[in-house]
Amino acid sequence: MKLISIRLLNFRSFYGETPEISLEGYNGQNTIVFHGSNGAGKTTLLNAFTWVLYGKFTAAFASEEQLVNKRAIAETPPHSKVKCQVKLKWEHDGTLYEFIREREALKGEQDHTETQHPLKMMVAKDDGTWSMSREHPDDVIANILPASLHQYFFFDGERMEKSVRADKKNEISEATKRMLGVVVLERAFNHLKEAKKRLDEELQLLGDSQLRDFLKKQRDIEQEQEKCQQRQEEIVQEIEHQSVFKKEVGEELLKLNVAQEREEQRQQLEERKKSLLISLKKSKESLKKAISNQGYTALLSSILPHFYNLVDNLKQKGEITPGVSREFISRLLNSQRCICGTELCQGTHSYNAIQSLLDKAKFASLESSVYSLSSQVEAMEKEQQKFWDTADQEQAEITRLRQEIQNIELKIDEIEDKLRKDPSEEIRGLQKRLDGIEAKISELYKEQGANQQKLQDFKSDLENLERQIKRQQKAEERQVLAQRRISATQDAMERISEVRSRQELQFRQQLERRVQEIFSRISFKPYVPKISEKYELNLVETLNGIETPVAASTGENQILSLSFIGAIIEKVREWNQTKMVMLPESNTFPIVMDSPFGSLDENYRRHVAEIIPNIANQLVVMATKTQWLGEVEKTIHHRVAKEYVITFYSSKPDCEEDYIELGGVRYDLVKRSGSEFDYSQIVEVEYGF
Amino acid sequence: MQLETIDVREPFEAAPPEVRQIIDRVLKLEKSRLDRKSNSHINDDILSIIKQIIQ
Repeated sequence: MKLISIRLLNFRSFYGETPEISLEGYNGQNTIVFHGSNGAGKTTLLNAFTWVLYGKFTAAFASEEQLVNKRAIAETPPHSKVKCQVKLKWEHDGTLYEFIREREALKGEQDHTETQHPLKMMVAKDDGTWSMSREHPDDVIANILPASLHQYFFFDGERMEKSVRADKKNEISEATKRMLGVVVLERAFNHLKEAKKRLDEELQLLGDSQLRDFLKKQRDIEQEQEKCQQRQEEIVQEIEHQSVFKKEVGEELLKLNVAQEREEQRQQLEERKKSLLISLKKSKESLKKAISNQGYTALLSSILPHFYNLVDNLKQKGEITPGVSREFISRLLNSQRCICGTELCQGTHSYNAIQSLLDKAKFASLESSVYSLSSQVEAMEKEQQKFWDTADQEQAEITRLRQEIQNIELKIDEIEDKLRKDPSEEIRGLQKRLDGIEAKISELYKEQGANQQKLQDFKSDLENLERQIKRQQKAEERQVLAQRRISATQDAMERISEVRSRQELQFRQQLERRVQEIFSRISFKPYVPKISEKYELNLVETLNGIETPVAASTGENQILSLSFIGAIIEKVREWNQTKMVMLPESNTFPIVMDSPFGSLDENYRRHVAEIIPNIANQLVVMATKTQWLGEVEKTIHHRVAKEYVITFYSSKPDCEEDYIELGGVRYDLVKRSGSEFDYSQIVEVEYGF
Repeated sequence: MQLETIDVREPFEAAPPEVRQIIDRVLKLEKSRLDRKSNSHINDDILSIIKQIIQ
């Protein structure tokens, strides 16, 4: 990520709109310097960065509820609005973004109220035009330069030593863990654990599979079914077999003179019984058919009187009196001629006479509906009669046939009884065999019927089982899927945990080594920075082989903070080359520092000036004349790409004016405003080359 | 130095493709949520990532 430019409008001490202030460096000259006296607006400028991106301010920024420039408010008529605005452009991964944050002041009679608008983000297209982005600006910023880490990139040098003080240790360790992706790994682990719990619950809900039981049942029923079908075939064969036997025994009886007559009689009766049974079956079917087709007509008896009452009522009211319909009269009037040939012109007597019929005539549609319904009802009544006739006829036939069959059976019984009691032993024996065969056939028919019922039951059981098996198979698939999900989640958790512990070992140690290297280059004291397991930064010295904490001075803490920030940016940049997803997306970072040399003596300032342009890819520094000129300027000058001067216009008539000479040109640092307002403006230093 | 950082990544690199996808998407989601005040629905979102990947 690279900062491109910033532009302020009526932002605190900055009156009106500043020019677009370029923040880009070139060819190793990565440093932008803002010169300003104390109170001119250096801290305001630093806060313009933090406000536009995060809506936040540094600790030194007072009265944050009043952002709109006082002069701009004073020049606004009462009940009107005036806005302050910061626009910041940055480039990331070849895309140019512009972030815009605004606050609007509504001026009252005595005071004003300020309302903040949501952050806006524009994205530059390839053709140079800009459009609003669909992405949420906070999300874009969070992925590139997260708010939780902003204190690493935008900070107040005079106060930065506070960040390593005891009360801030937790905050800074938390921010460090975020920067190194530790927090992302921890959260991912914990949330995956939660997800795994839910997957475990889902698996429990699916329950144990009953698929095996159902499949076993299915196999058992299929075997039973097969057996039953085989038996049915056997029964058919056996019945045929027994029938042949019966016929043979019958023939033997016929051969015997005594029994011949009876046997013939019996066979005739049997034939007659067979044909009667067929007729009985036919009659039953025809009765069933009549009930199925016309049975409903039996229910009409209670409804038909209602219909006739309705028609009578309509007739009594004259609604369906037969006569000329309205439609017919209208047609005559429209054709302007009567059926008798008389012309029907509007206004004539004939016309009026015909028209008067209109009121008396009724609508043909109701009439025709009633007549059509009546004819249908009449047809139904005929159907009803026909149905009862058919039903009575078939019932009578069935009764007659049953009676006749019963009579025949009695006669057969009589014959058989006589044969059973016949004096001839042979005849008695043959009849006994016949009785046995018939008993067997009857048994076989019963078994056949029972088996048919069994087969139907098997069929419906198998259909049910089939459905249950399909359901269980689906449930089992879901179980397998849930188990796969659980084991993948477990695997992901273990790997995240492993990366977390490897990172713990290596990132922290590497970071600590780098902080120590930077610190030792600046500090002349033998103190050693240490990063604890909780990512807390401490300064220690070794006395008699024992490490003891150091009560560091403000300057030493400032150097420690700078070393830490430098090391962390450098390491994240380096580790980011491996594209680890938990690290910030950017691998180039800017640093915007207000007064980085604040409480340092000259020697330290020189060291810091040497180091800070190397820490970040891009450095924006705000400094006073005394902080800058001398050692710092000499050391850092070759890294400076652009310089700006913040000129403070004082309303104090006798204020002491001040200037800074840069590139042989004088630039005002403090100037009389000539009005009742204090305000600041930014001017770019022209080098003239 | 480079070797050491590759070692840190090794458990991710060696993961089966589906597990790798889960890790990448969950870490990306967690990173995007790092600075949000509300983390609501994160569990649902992570669950749906797992379910989308393992089908």
